[in-house]
Amino acid sequence: MLLHNSPIRFFDFNARRKGARLFTATVMMLLTYSLSASTLQPALGIDWVARDKEFFEKIQPILKSACLECHSGSEADAGLALSNFKTSKSILKERQTWEKVIQRLELEDMPPKDAAPLAGADRKRLVEWLKSAINDIDCGRTPNPGSVTLRRLNRVEYRNTVRDLLGIDYALAAGFPGDDVGYGFDNIGDVLTLPPLLMEKYLTAAEDISRKAILAPEPGPVFESIRKPKQLTAGSSGKANDGYFSFYSNGKITIEEQLPWKGEFSLELGMTGSPAAGEYPRMLVSVDGKKVKEFSVQSEPDTPKNFVVPIRISKGGKRSITLEFTNDKTVEAKNGKPAEDRNIAIYDLKISGQKPADPIPESQLPESHRKIVKATPSTGVSVEQAATEVLRPLASKAFRRPATTQEVKRLATLANDAIEAGESYEGGIQVALQAILVSPSFLFKVEEPAPQVAGQFPLLTDFELATRLSYFLWSSMPDQELLGVAQKKQLRDPSILKQQIERMIKHKRSNAFVENFAGQWLTLRKLDQFIPDANLFPKWTTEIRELARRETYLFIADIVQGNKSMMRLLDADYSFMNDKLAKFYEIPGVEGDEFRMVSTKGHKRLGLLTHASILAVTSNPTRTSPVKRGKWVLDNLLGTPPPAAPPGVPELDKAELTGTLRQRMEQHRADPACASCHKLMDPIGMAMENYDAIGRWRTLDYGQPIDTSGELPGGDKIKGPADLIRNIGSKNAEKFVRCLSEKMLVYALGRGLEYYDRCAIDKIQAKLIQDDTKFSTLIYEIVVSDPFQRKGVRDAL
Amino acid sequence: MKNQRLSRRTILRGLGTAMSLPLLDAMLPVGRLAAAAGPQAPLRTMYFMVPNGAHMPAWTPASEGPGYALTPTMEPLAKHREFISVFSGLTLDGARAHEDGAGDHARSGASFLTGAHPKKTDGADIKNSVSVDQVAAQVIGSKTRFASLELGLEGSTQAGGCDSGYSCAYSSNLAWRNENSPLPKENDPSAVFDRLFGNGEKVGEGKSRTARLERRKSVLDFVQEDAKTLHKKLGIADQRKVDEYLYAVREVESRLANSSKLRIGEDGVPNIPRPSGIPHDRSQHCKLMLDMVALAIRSDSTRVLTFGFANEGNNWGYPEIGAPEGHHDLSHHGKSEEKQAKIQKINLFHMQHFAYLLDHFADVEEAGGKLLDNCMILYGSGISDGDRHNHDDLPIIMAGKAGGKIKKASHWRFPKDTPLCDLYLWMLNQSGVKADSFGDSKGVLKFS
Repeated sequence: MLLHNSPIRFFDFNARRKGARLFTATVMMLLTYSLSASTLQPALGIDWVARDKEFFEKIQPILKSACLECHSGSEADAGLALSNFKTSKSILKERQTWEKVIQRLELEDMPPKDAAPLAGADRKRLVEWLKSAINDIDCGRTPNPGSVTLRRLNRVEYRNTVRDLLGIDYALAAGFPGDDVGYGFDNIGDVLTLPPLLMEKYLTAAEDISRKAILAPEPGPVFESIRKPKQLTAGSSGKANDGYFSFYSNGKITIEEQLPWKGEFSLELGMTGSPAAGEYPRMLVSVDGKKVKEFSVQSEPDTPKNFVVPIRISKGGKRSITLEFTNDKTVEAKNGKPAEDRNIAIYDLKISGQKPADPIPESQLPESHRKIVKATPSTGVSVEQAATEVLRPLASKAFRRPATTQEVKRLATLANDAIEAGESYEGGIQVALQAILVSPSFLFKVEEPAPQVAGQFPLLTDFELATRLSYFLWSSMPDQELLGVAQKKQLRDPSILKQQIERMIKHKRSNAFVENFAGQWLTLRKLDQFIPDANLFPKWTTEIRELARRETYLFIADIVQGNKSMMRLLDADYSFMNDKLAKFYEIPGVEGDEFRMVSTKGHKRLGLLTHASILAVTSNPTRTSPVKRGKWVLDNLLGTPPPAAPPGVPELDKAELTGTLRQRMEQHRADPACASCHKLMDPIGMAMENYDAIGRWRTLDYGQPIDTSGELPGGDKIKGPADLIRNIGSKNAEKFVRCLSEKMLVYALGRGLEYYDRCAIDKIQAKLIQDDTKFSTLIYEIVVSDPFQRKGVRDAL
Repeated sequence: MKNQRLSRRTILRGLGTAMSLPLLDAMLPVGRLAAAAGPQAPLRTMYFMVPNGAHMPAWTPASEGPGYALTPTMEPLAKHREFISVFSGLTLDGARAHEDGAGDHARSGASFLTGAHPKKTDGADIKNSVSVDQVAAQVIGSKTRFASLELGLEGSTQAGGCDSGYSCAYSSNLAWRNENSPLPKENDPSAVFDRLFGNGEKVGEGKSRTARLERRKSVLDFVQEDAKTLHKKLGIADQRKVDEYLYAVREVESRLANSSKLRIGEDGVPNIPRPSGIPHDRSQHCKLMLDMVALAIRSDSTRVLTFGFANEGNNWGYPEIGAPEGHHDLSHHGKSEEKQAKIQKINLFHMQHFAYLLDHFADVEEAGGKLLDNCMILYGSGISDGDRHNHDDLPIIMAGKAGGKIKKASHWRFPKDTPLCDLYLWMLNQSGVKADSFGDSKGVLKFS
């Protein structure tokens, strides 16, 4: 089993005690690593020189004579310019292109019949060499597990994470700018960008969320009273001058002030003081005759300095505040020294205060508040101490790993600064929570580089692994239990890992996996965009659309959570529906609004290919599209996408196509340029023609009987949907298993697959076949695969 | 003490509505209108993209020169005829295959404002180039609260593939800040409204707006430090993501700083209902979004704006105008007259809405003339004929007189393969951007 052999723990609970030296050492090792990272090469076990020699001598001549006449340069047929491939490395890198080439060579429909023929021996040699060129990676030598580009939470993950972190559903996250899709999914690091618009939304969201999670008492009203120098009097001891009050001999200034409430006020004085006999003037401040503070008025000449005297009163009301000058002195000029006069000048005088917030009664606090704000300052507990106690667990949960001492300290300081600037304690915690929610450690699934150990690509830390796992299965953060397992470093114990995966799949949060993985794999998220012509399809309503989608999600959830074979996706003779949906399908005997498992035996429904959701999402607004359905099956179930339509589709100069859909398609296929691809797609789509554009069963189209017969590439003759489904489930079972494994690996990793991932896929497939294609085996094998467990490098070819 | 009273925005929220605006006049607060007018009216640049090309026979005017007659597709612009220039013969070479095979829609979308040839990838190492609006925004963007706005009707694609091995980022985004950072668009009119005029945020009693800005600034400063620390630990590809994060933080900081200058408060909210979300009806949705365009421009919140009527390759049906089949499917008309007629209907539909926007600007007087005198509003597609997917002789028009630089609106025809980027370069020069080239430009377009 895999061992946790990383020598560095980047987020060390004990870092504080070990002190800064460890931190420095870590940084230095990281630097060393990042220097050497670029020189790391994945071990492929390939002798490039020998392989290129074969390519130049034996293979290129065959390509040249059989393929390049059409497939080269900018006008290459089907946009496939094989002339671009100059080395065997370039072939390995673009292996998907070459898989298609091999497919067509094996089907013997390339080169086309009207081109120079390719001799059987050459065809065989070409296919065999190409297969080895794109497949021969030495899987025994730890192939590169690949590198996932730093992934931002997408909007679904953001909303779920906020929900699981704070118990708040931030529905507005649905209005974040759309997450772009790559490789069919919206959780791909390379295409998840962070434009300023999104940052704006994150900031507003953080404010909204923090105010919902934590209730801060509204600070009370502000009191402010300013006295101008000319309003002051001190009897014969001073007088107002231009812009200041000159306090020149011992005496008192008395100010009557109505202070509206009990609590803290502050008296701010902008003053200068001039010394005499080496001593500065002193001022004594009293309230109602009681001494508050006595201090020395020490300043640069003519540069008023701000003196702040806190005043605390136990009851609101009229107060008399006195400022007393206590140590006047003058020294005559003598022995060439100038005269000295100890005086005070008052430039500004302000009394201000803010009414303390009324604490919010315990009963009005939301649950999140009580969970987060577990400590409050009191005598003996400073604001920073209390804030630290609150913020450490909060930041650790939000960052999905223990927050470092430094991070917690900075957060506490941020809260404290806000509090000193006038926020309540809770308001200060809100500000810190805002910083947490906008922090890159929250918004990104951070995985830090680590050095190779003994020629092995480094493992993810346990916390990083827990994060990958929970975003894979829950589209959300790890829960307390999973983090606990990670902290104990038990996540690589197979039995514990299995147990955790099982628990997570059973948890209702795994519905997110069904909706996000299957919703994208099967393109069901696009169903909203399908708006059929209401005149032709009055039965398709928004309600039916949602019920149909729900059917497919429940169907998949049942297979995932019930640990059934993935083959049931294709051939299950049951589905999930309520009365309305059953009525739409014309299946009798289903009463009531509740969804339940319904047998579809004898009702023309078999697995997800016959679900209305999928039949509709592959249709045009006014009719079915056998081409789209065929392409959908090739793309999403068989993993053999047909070549894309060539650029600048040649204009059909002949007469417009006429007749039934089948006849029109056959006319289209008469053109050899179209035929080569359409013969892959059309027979599949034609077999599904018994379902109309919204997935209802039919035997006639525009009054004409529907002919669903056809011949699949490879020669299998089929007729109707059941034949097609059986064919996929038997002869093409391996392709289906592989296709689903690949799609799920893309989703689990958040990156596109590369040639070196083949080893991992092979392994997953082998295990699946061993284990009756059980769904949980698929998930488990993905989780323990090297690409999921380890940090590799970006494509080094 | 100020009394806490019900914010007007709170009242507006309650009145949320899907109705589009009857009038723009009198709905902007006086103070802001004055600010927009200023001593010298600013030049505004806007780019509008329609997907899937156009039915060219109904688009291109028969004759050239200032006396050209409006074609059926341009008919809705009749009222604004004196401001409409037509540019025929321009080419978007970056959208061509160049040995990359299929994917004309993704390439056209990505290339439309960048002139670049995007790298064919489904995700890894996505690469386009900076777009023309962003080049302008980098120079003149600091003068307004938003350096640029990116708007449209369709969000990002939700699942599956978009076009032949191209990531959906290419077909969904018009504006690109640099070669690998697309700027997604906002398609919810209420969200745009909130960004322009504040979202009814509750400013607590006794807590000033300044205090709130201070907090925001402290939060942003804080996370910047975090990001810098993180940056040092990561590899190159990941660092690029953190760079993007840091850029976004700084950009938001400067928007906050500008917003305090602009006094967006109670008195800054226009006297119109806040839209309540995305209406189901496409025309209503479009009109509301165009209302937001008009508000943004007339309140001088930005001078650079891009707008996508839909993502490139979009396949919406338009049953309300007799074209229920998907737009993209129809565009592959195979010379069917019926399909071509429907494409033209969709073209007309978009043009009517463009005219609706111009109606908002019409007759607005400002220093030195009318608002449309000080606009360059480009409208068009990166594909010419949707069936052939050709990227030459593109449908391109411009509304506005570019601050008087276009003396007389006319129909100009340019030699084959004249880059569209030559026109962009001309536009950049008018905005005060000193550039010698943009995209695949060969020189500043000569016309006028």
